[in-house]
Amino acid sequence: MLRIGIVGCGKIADGHVEQIRATGRGEVVAVCDREPLMVEQLAERMRVPGRYTDLEAMLAAECLDVVHVATPPDSHLPIARRAMEAGCHVFMEKPFALTAEEAAAILECAQAHARRVSVNYLYNFETPGLELAGLMAAGKLGEVVHLDTHYGYNLSGDYGLAVMGDPGHWVHRLPGKLFHNVLDHVLAKIVPYVGDGFSVRARALRRRPATGNAAVDAMPDELRFIIDDGATTASGMISAHGRPVAHTLKVVGTQDSVELDYAARTLVPSARQAQPSALGRLFPPWVQAARFAGNGWRNLRRFGRHEFHYFQPMRVLLARFYDAVADDSRADPIPHEHILRTCRMIDAIVADIGRTP
Amino acid sequence: MKYLVTGSGGFLGRRIARSLLAQGVDDLRLHVRQRPPAGMVEALQAEFPQARIEWVGANLLQRDGLPALVAGVGCVVHAAAGMRGAAADMFANSVVGTRNLLEAAGEAGVKRIVQISSFAVYRTDGLPRNGVHDESVPLESVGVDKGPYGYAKVRQEQLLDACRDRFGFETVVLRPGVIYGEGGGALSPRVGIGALGFFFSLGGGATLPLTYVENCADAVAVAALRAPAGSAYNVVDDDLPSCRRYLREYRRSVRRLRTLPLPYSLLLQASRMLVWYNRRSKGQLPAVFTPYVVRSMYRPLRYANGALKAIGWTPGVSTTAGLERTFRYLRGQS
Repeated sequence: MLRIGIVGCGKIADGHVEQIRATGRGEVVAVCDREPLMVEQLAERMRVPGRYTDLEAMLAAECLDVVHVATPPDSHLPIARRAMEAGCHVFMEKPFALTAEEAAAILECAQAHARRVSVNYLYNFETPGLELAGLMAAGKLGEVVHLDTHYGYNLSGDYGLAVMGDPGHWVHRLPGKLFHNVLDHVLAKIVPYVGDGFSVRARALRRRPATGNAAVDAMPDELRFIIDDGATTASGMISAHGRPVAHTLKVVGTQDSVELDYAARTLVPSARQAQPSALGRLFPPWVQAARFAGNGWRNLRRFGRHEFHYFQPMRVLLARFYDAVADDSRADPIPHEHILRTCRMIDAIVADIGRTP
Repeated sequence: MKYLVTGSGGFLGRRIARSLLAQGVDDLRLHVRQRPPAGMVEALQAEFPQARIEWVGANLLQRDGLPALVAGVGCVVHAAAGMRGAAADMFANSVVGTRNLLEAAGEAGVKRIVQISSFAVYRTDGLPRNGVHDESVPLESVGVDKGPYGYAKVRQEQLLDACRDRFGFETVVLRPGVIYGEGGGALSPRVGIGALGFFFSLGGGATLPLTYVENCADAVAVAALRAPAGSAYNVVDDDLPSCRRYLREYRRSVRRLRTLPLPYSLLLQASRMLVWYNRRSKGQLPAVFTPYVVRSMYRPLRYANGALKAIGWTPGVSTTAGLERTFRYLRGQS
């Protein structure tokens, strides 16, 4: 069993503890946060023995194999660097780093110390994400022409209320504010199919009424972007106001196209008229209905096998990361170039938002 | 003496502010997270023109704004709390915020702290069926088994005790049951929960420990002004309905619900199965009900409010009138 410590005892730390345990591969032996009360609450609720308010003390005392970093992103570089210098592998909560420059520094540090590092880009390990990877590997879609991704954000939800109600929330310190905290989820899905020589156009706006608080009102809540690498384009929408709250991806290929819904956990080929004339137009809805029914049955079987937890994809990702930690010959679950490209895309989108009049 | 009410833009806090003014407080500072609700301060000032009323925006999680919040204050009525969100957020907003506030208050020389706590801090699973739930019931020592809200409130009271010893505060604790009224929630989990298109009625014939929000605010104000140091009070009204009666009147007055009653014995058995499944499935379904929670929340008990009445509180709004007002409000919302 891997000895694992968690730095950062906020709400996402619960998910890390639960999924580490669910993998059956590691034991959470210690938690660490600068705020002693937050250390206490996580350790108490999750029955974790080691409690620290100082990273150095935890690293010195606990002989950790892996450190999970679940702090706000402006602290990721120094924490990851110290953990790797102390001989630990590192699993980061997203955003991976505050900037692409800091991301590169973390990746270089991992290489220098021969440590593994990965990040919680969990949705690529969601059932439809894994199916998409399989289809691409088998060449079923041909070359990718375009990707279109939608990501909804409910500002009336628990996290949205926390951000809206607290001008001091760390999200307001991020260069891209709210979007900076969710763009990883949006972009990590498309970086395997868009090359490094990309250009970006982005537009952000605030649709909700002003509150009178400058920090809160400075936060846009709608984002549109288009990314172009010369061969493949990707368009994206992050919306706090569109309903229902969406989490989708459409991949348009030269041979076939697929539509993924990460909330419903479905992947279906796009409707195609295979028969001629008015008669042929009768078939596609029934074909699509049968495909969705197939997804429904698959999800039901996964539920029966206890593979339908919200953080199931994180469980899959962690298991693969721990495989890589245990076996040098294994590949990283997320290629480092994808992590860096994601961070570069975030920087480019944030910069273009800043240029938008 | 200047009184500070934290969370005064909230459901209970704004009523506490008014009750304090109505009972003679003439120097009141209102704490809000950012800005007070539109018209709130103006309405209070118009109703109590002789009082000095001011407001301060502050985040209790950020210590730098707190010295100004508590400067010159003699009594803090601490009603701000985390009522929703993830367990860590609820804990931070209730406990870390309270620690910051109490330390700032101690350093500023605040004399008296009135803390709004909850029934959730009591260890009621040991009470006999139809036993009396009064202030003598022992408190939870940790509270984790009561869920995130219960844990946060238990820890919050423990912090108050520690800060009382450290700073020499006079402390008073109010532990309301289910606070209801215009602007509040409609159906307490003690009554039941909605799922899969049905409303599962869980409380059955057990008494629902209601307190109408204005009565509760009056109780807080009375305790702030008159309660002896170190005291604690349960806050419930008179003539309490059963959960079943509350639900029946809600359905008649507000909206129809497809209701499925779940008797206590079945609920207890279902909670055992849920805990079993939660473990077996590695958390695929959350163990929202555990046998401990069911035993603590759903067994029939009787509720006492004699201690509060002994210091001069009476519920000004009858339960019949409170329910009528609340259901009228909820009907307008639905």
